[in-house]
Order: sequence, then C-alpha cells, then structure tokens
Amino acid sequence: MDWIRILLSRSAALFLSKKLDADLDEELRAHIDLAIEENRRRGMNEPQARTAALRSFGGVTQIRESYRVQRGLPWLDEMARDIRYAIRQLRKSPGFALTAILTLALGIGAATSVFSVVNTVLLKPFAFRDPDRLVVMREAVQDAVRSERTAIPDNYRHFLRLKHDAKTLEDAAIFAQQGMSVSLGADHPHIVGAVSASPNLFRLLGVQPIFGRDFVEDDARQNAERVVILSYEGWQTFFAGDRAVIGKTLRIQGHPVTVIGVLPPGVRFPQIALAPKIAFQEFARDALLFGPLTPSERDLTADMGNFNYKAIARLKPGVTLAQANAELEALQRAYTLSAHLPLHFGIALTPLTKDVASGVSGALWMLFAAVGAVLLIACVNLANLQLARAVNAERETAVRAALGASRGQLVRSRLTESLVLAFVGGAAGIALAFIGVRLLLALVPANVPRLDEVHVSTPVLLFAAGLSIVAAIAFGILPALRSLRVHPQTALQENSSRTANTPEGRRTRSAMVAAQVACTVVLLIVTSLALHSFSHLLRQDRGFDASHVTLAQADLFVPQYDDAGSKGDAARLAFADRALMALGQLPGVQSVAVTSVAPLTGETWVDNLFRPDHPVPAGQEPAINVRWINPEYLSTVQTPLVAGRNITGADRANPYVALISERTAREGFPGENPIGRKISDIVPDDKHTVTVVGVVADARINGLKDNAAMVYLPYWAYTPFTLSFLVRSSQSSDALIPEMRRAIWQIDPQVAIPTLKSMDDQVSDSVAADRFQAMVLTGFGAAALFLALLGVYGVLAYSVSLRRQEFGIRIALGSGKSALIGLVLLQAAYPVLLGTAAGFAIALIALRWVRSLLYQTPVMDPLAVGGSILLLLVATTIAAIVPARRAASTDPMRVLRME
Amino acid sequence: MAESKSDVLQGTFDLMVLKTLESMGRLHGYGIARRIEQVSGNSVSLNQGTIYPALLRLEQRGWVKSEWGISETGRRAKFYSLTRSGRKQIEQETENWERIAATMARFLAPSN
Repeated sequence: MDWIRILLSRSAALFLSKKLDADLDEELRAHIDLAIEENRRRGMNEPQARTAALRSFGGVTQIRESYRVQRGLPWLDEMARDIRYAIRQLRKSPGFALTAILTLALGIGAATSVFSVVNTVLLKPFAFRDPDRLVVMREAVQDAVRSERTAIPDNYRHFLRLKHDAKTLEDAAIFAQQGMSVSLGADHPHIVGAVSASPNLFRLLGVQPIFGRDFVEDDARQNAERVVILSYEGWQTFFAGDRAVIGKTLRIQGHPVTVIGVLPPGVRFPQIALAPKIAFQEFARDALLFGPLTPSERDLTADMGNFNYKAIARLKPGVTLAQANAELEALQRAYTLSAHLPLHFGIALTPLTKDVASGVSGALWMLFAAVGAVLLIACVNLANLQLARAVNAERETAVRAALGASRGQLVRSRLTESLVLAFVGGAAGIALAFIGVRLLLALVPANVPRLDEVHVSTPVLLFAAGLSIVAAIAFGILPALRSLRVHPQTALQENSSRTANTPEGRRTRSAMVAAQVACTVVLLIVTSLALHSFSHLLRQDRGFDASHVTLAQADLFVPQYDDAGSKGDAARLAFADRALMALGQLPGVQSVAVTSVAPLTGETWVDNLFRPDHPVPAGQEPAINVRWINPEYLSTVQTPLVAGRNITGADRANPYVALISERTAREGFPGENPIGRKISDIVPDDKHTVTVVGVVADARINGLKDNAAMVYLPYWAYTPFTLSFLVRSSQSSDALIPEMRRAIWQIDPQVAIPTLKSMDDQVSDSVAADRFQAMVLTGFGAAALFLALLGVYGVLAYSVSLRRQEFGIRIALGSGKSALIGLVLLQAAYPVLLGTAAGFAIALIALRWVRSLLYQTPVMDPLAVGGSILLLLVATTIAAIVPARRAASTDPMRVLRME
Repeated sequence: MAESKSDVLQGTFDLMVLKTLESMGRLHGYGIARRIEQVSGNSVSLNQGTIYPALLRLEQRGWVKSEWGISETGRRAKFYSLTRSGRKQIEQETENWERIAATMARFLAPSN
C-alpha cells in the first residue's frame, strides 16, 4: 500500500507546490534560527553564530532541490511544467485562447450531438439476442409499370412455406403492426402502437417476459381466449407498474383482453415498414401491446392477395445474408412455377437495424458528414493560428534549443498547448452536447426511429473525448513539428518575421486556406441544393388546398362497429352520416368531407387495378390507392374534376361508382376514355364491380413528393373503420378543434380521435424530415462560411503584418495604394480559387451520393452551384479587403525606422 | 573537517532518525540532527540539511508524522514524531542491522 500513499502525496505535491515550498522554507529558517541560538549560547557573537549555523547545515539550495525531487514525480512534474507553461502562454494571448476554445467547443459540441443521434438510430444494436443475425423478410415482384424490382409485404401462405422449407433460417415470425384503441375505465379510448405476431416472436428475438409467460401456439387458435403481453412502457402506462398485473384485463378495441406477460425494460420493438415505399406518419411509435396473430380464412388460402404482413427471421449462425437471400429466392421461384402463379415472386432480405433506419440513414449520415466538415474547417483555422504562433515563438524555441532542450521536449511543449486547448474546448463541447441533443430532438421529425433512446451515453462521451484529442493533434502537430526545424543559430541571427515569411511558410498557410475553402464550397453547394429541394417541395402545385381546412381522424375500434354480417357496416355508415351532419352544423363551416385515410400519410390501402375486360396480362395491373369519400370531398380539398361527373347523393341507392385520378387513368386506361369503364375486386365484399363516372385532377394528397394514383369510391358502398373528417371553415382551426372533438364524442364517446389538427399542420408535419435536413444544413453551411471567412481573414492579416517592412519600402519607392491592395488580394486569390476548384471537383463526386436525398432537384442545379460559389467568392473578397487596405495604409517612415 | 568522520548509508541514516525519535519523542529537525551528531560523538559527517529529504521520505512511507509547534526557545518549528508503523519498522530494521553487524563482525574478527 505504501506506493499508493507515496503516489498520492507526490501528486498532491504537484498541486500544492507553492504552499509546500513555503512550508519547507519556513522549516529550514527555523532550523538555522535554532542553530544560531544555540551557537550564541555557547558564546559566539551574532555573525559567527550565523556563519557556523549555515556551515553545518550544508548547501541550502541543494537540500531544497533534493527535497523537491523527493516530493514530486519527475515525469508528472515535467508534464505539469509543460501544462503550466502552456497555460501561461495562452494567458498571454487571451484572444487566441478564447477563440480557439469557443471554436472547438462549438465544433465538438455539434459533432457530438449529431453523433449521439447517429449512434442510437443507426449504430446501436437492438436489445435482442444476437441482433446482427435478425433480418426483415419481404417478398419482391417485378413492377411492370416502373420496370423495377420492388419489395412488397408478405403473404401468409408464402411465409409458412418459406419458414418450413428454408435451411438457412433458424426461425421466422410473421406479424402486423397497427394502432389499437385502449380504454382505461370510462375515459375516451387512446390509440397506441400494437403488434400482432406469430407466437414464436419473442423466442426468435431472444426476449423473455419479466412477469408472466410467453405466447404458446394455442394462443393463436381461432376462438382462443384473448391475451396480451405488455411492453415495459405499456405496463407503466396502463397499470402504473403494478406487479399483480398478470390475469388482469385491459379493454383493447372494445374487448376485454387478459394480460399474460410483461416485457423487460429496454425491449422496444421497432416500427418496420410494410414495404419500403410506405411511410408512417401516424404510428411511428413503439408498440405497447403484443397479441398473438390469428390468420384469417383467406390468409390461409390466398396465394395472390392478402399481402398484409411483415416477417422477421433469424439467420442460422455462419449463414450470410446473400446465402439466405439466394436460398429463399430459389424457393420462391420453385413455388411460383409449381403453383402456376401469374406473378414471379422473389425475396428481399435486409438486416433489421438497417431496415429500421433505412428512411433516415442517408439524411443522418449527410448531417454527420456536414458537421464533420465544419469541425475540419474549424481545426484548419486553429492550425493556422497555431502555426502563426509557433513562428512568432521561433526565437524563444531557438533559445530553448540552444540551452539544451531536446527535440522531444520542444515538440511536447508546443503540443501540450494544443492539448490544453482541446481539453478545455472538449469539456465545454460535451457540456454543449447535452443542450445540443435536446435541440436536435426538438427539431428531428418524429418518424425517425428510436428517438426516445437518444442521449449522451458512454460511447458518445468516448467519441467526444477521442474527437478532442484527434482535433488537438490535427491542429497542433504541424506547428509542433515546425519547432523541430528551427536551427538555433539561424533563428537567433535572423529577424524572426523574415523567417516566418519564407516561401515554405506561405505554402503551408495557402494550402490550409485552400482546404478550408474546398470544404466550405462542398458544404454550401449541398446546403443550397437542400434548400432548393425543400422550397420546391413546398411551392410546387399540390393539386389540393389545405388552408382553412381542419382534419379529425376517428377510429371506430369498438365491437358494435365490428359485428359480423351487415350490422357493423350499418353502424359505421350511420356514424359517418351523423358525424358529417354534426360537423356541418358548426359555425362558419362551408363544407365537410370524409375520407378513409388522413391525407399526407403515405401510400395506404394499396390494391391493384383489376378490370373485368382484362386488357393487361394478370399480375401487371397498376397499383392504386383506394379511398372512401363523400360527394363534398372534391370541393373541400379543392381538387377539380377534369372529366365526367362527381359522385352525387343520387348514387346512394346504387353506390357502385368511382372517381379516378388522372394518373390512374393514364396507367390503368392508357389511350382510352375511362368514363363508363368497369373496375372489379375493389369493394371488400368482392361481389360488385364499380363504374368509373369521373376523372379528377392529380393531387399530392398522400405526400407532397408524389402525385398518387387514386380511386375514390363513395363511403355508402363501404364504410371503413378509420374515418378522416375534413372541415372547410371560415373559423380558425384553433377555434374549431375543441368543437369538432365535442361533436364527434357527442355521437359516440367510445370513438378514438388520434389526429385532430389543421391541414396546414398536417402538410407541414409530412415534410418534417426535409425541413429538418434543410434547417440543420443551413446552420452548418453558415457556420462553415463564417469559419472560412475567419480563416482567410486571419491568414491574410497575419501575412500582411509580417510583410509590413516590404510594404513600407514599396510605398517609399512610389507604389500606389491600389497596387498594394491588388498585391494582397492576389495573394488571397490563389488559394481561394484553387480551393473553390477543388471543392467543385469534390462536390461532383459527393453529390452523386446526395442525389437520393433531394426532391426533383438536379444535383448540378446551376443556381445552387453557381450561387454557392459566388457567395463564397464575394465573402472571401470582403474578408481579404480589410487586411489589404491595412497593407496599403502602412506608414513607410514608422516601419523603416523600426528596422 | 576531521578525517575520521565517515559518510552514512541511506538505510542506516533512516534508522538513526527513527531511533532518535523513539528515544527522544517529539522533536524538530534541528533537534534530530543535533542529537545524531551528539550520539555519534561527532563521528558522522552530517550536513544537517540532509535530514529534511530523509524526514520527508519517512513521512511518505508513513513511519513518522509531522506538525507545526513551538520550540523551547519560542520559535515556530515543525515537529516530528513516530507513528505506530514507524515503531514496527524500527524493530525490523534493528533486527536486520544486528544480523548484518554480527555477520560483519564474524568476518572481521581476528582468526584464532
């Protein structure tokens, strides 16, 4: 244990050295005083007594030195000396130190914040057993219209066959995710995320309930008792963590359901898309409820319909994704042939983590790259400043070298300065990251998965620490190595400002400016493209009008609406009628519409357009979105009719009529007049064909990025379980919202209202991801531009200050002001133009990767690219003018006298 | 300086300091130095100052402890005293030393 105490006392000594030194001096003085006292008592006079005392004591300085050596740790001592020296140097130039620390703190803070999101969303494995062996399994078909392979949801029969035959899979589970209504007591029901899965799901994931039991095969039988397993959060939400929860019931979709288990904390089942194109806006939440999936009669018999499921599989150990893909692809092909299916089905496997993040990974990586570029630019700035300081300190370095400092010591003392800056800047950056993460989370669109897991965690802190050290080395190593090249003799003989202005020093600084400018150009081009893309998205013609419209979604997940036979259908129809009536009587209302799916929630209720006259080969029918509407729908969203007639009240008696959008007409009825044509297999009862009576203009009603292929049918033919009411009114949405809620609950308090907001908000929320991307990139772009300006200004100002004698002589010899300004600008122009060219070249390569993140914006958009370059050139010219004018106003007399 | 004075080995010097504290109790640096000179009959060549690094070393090992106090002449001075592990150390060192001394004595004894 001795060594610990020694180490402690010795390290403590490092920090207390001043006090300990004073203590020692006091002790030694006491010693001498006592000795003098004794000597005088023996009869010496004062001077004799003092001399004798000092003689018998020995060398005071040597004693003090060996005492100090005994006290401290030599290497720690040396490091402490370096750090003290660095701090002293930094305190001599507080402006530099502050700039450096602030720049680093902002850079590291921003990078750390973005990394904490990237880490959680893209990198952190799920809390399942061997998560890297989990894959999402979808079927794939060749899309005839778009002539590309697309992944589609799974068919139950296909899944069972694949699961049975596959040798590369350890296990596979099939499931569906949806919103389900849960009511607590007499309260209005809430819609929460729910998963219905084959009973093996948790065994496949390697998750065991902390209470109760897992599902067994019998739970999925027809007419089995209804059971549910709660996620940990669900248990907290519905039962406040009550440990006696097993066996209690919860009202789900209006039915009492028995709780049989609770999942461990931290187990979150991610939202998995039905198909890559289907977006989630409403249910981008974790599942709180898990129930057994009971296949319907049709699931077990249909080979060509009911592609309603998602599947997750676990690869056998050692099996690669490609091997599994190949095996399953072959199984699908064989089955397609043997069952004489009209479509060739394939398979599409993606790793789970990648699949969950697929919609956002590109954007997040781009943000990460952008923040990295900003940090890089900041580091170059600091390197430039450090280099200038190293040059200024050359004389001092030379003196130290001449006095015998080793090369290692010289490099170390310069590098220590950078490390001190990085340490302080990094610490401040980590503090900023805590704020930055909150800020990012407030801005990030809610459909980014796993956001609630984002926080500043250990890996994030390690990242920040590593980043600080790398940054310190990045901006500290060049200046540090420079001190190696100082030759004491030449440096001491020469005027240091002349040494600094060697061609070599200029080249280094120019190269750094060029690098900065290149990074900035790339970032500016990407930023302006993102802004261009976003404004295009918002400003293009949508084909509908959201202003003055308020949206309320009502979910009829209550048993009375779900009765077998026609009773449920009639109940839903009656509810829709009464709601339309009640909403129409609210003050200021001009029109009320109903549609089966809330606008801007992506492609849903996707069917193929089947025609009884079969003009296209089976399996190549175009995909369409089915919506159930009322006659006022078109006037409420203000989408015009372009041919035929609207649905009218007169159709109620025989409601099998349809409106189609222009795109549907193009794809489903190419070169024909669709009016009067028939569509089959579209009404859920499969009995009726419908007649096309009108064509409506294309609208971006499912998402601003695409004109959807739509088929609109009257809600009298079929009333769906989710109804979205759209109210056009002269009143503001804020005033209307409570009125609408009251009106709906007056009809039936057991109806859930998961969405109630203005259509403008709905539109705005649907482009949240694009807005986030544009906003954050703009921030980073502005930061990069600002830093680059500082860099150009700093380097020029410094070099002007070094060349003052030269300018003085030039002026004395008759050089004009404008000539001098031109000279300095020319010096700046070289690296800036070179950097711009390099940046443009990098952008050419990098933009290929950014293309997928832009909406209908050519990557070589001349306005964006030209504008970015122009902005940079103008800004750098302004930054260069200031030092150039200073150079031109040099007073030749003063400068020459200084020599 | 008289030629008969001899230099002191580090370990032995530490033992001298510890032993002095054991016999004299709480004492300041000057007192310890004087006492060693007196006991050795001025046969040890001692720069009095070297007592201080030694005292620090002993304190770092936990064998002595120090505190500020007032000397017999009314001067503020730092006083040292033995700790419990210091006393144990004296026993060990004494044994050690006696063994070495006995061995050396056998070597140096006139062979008869």
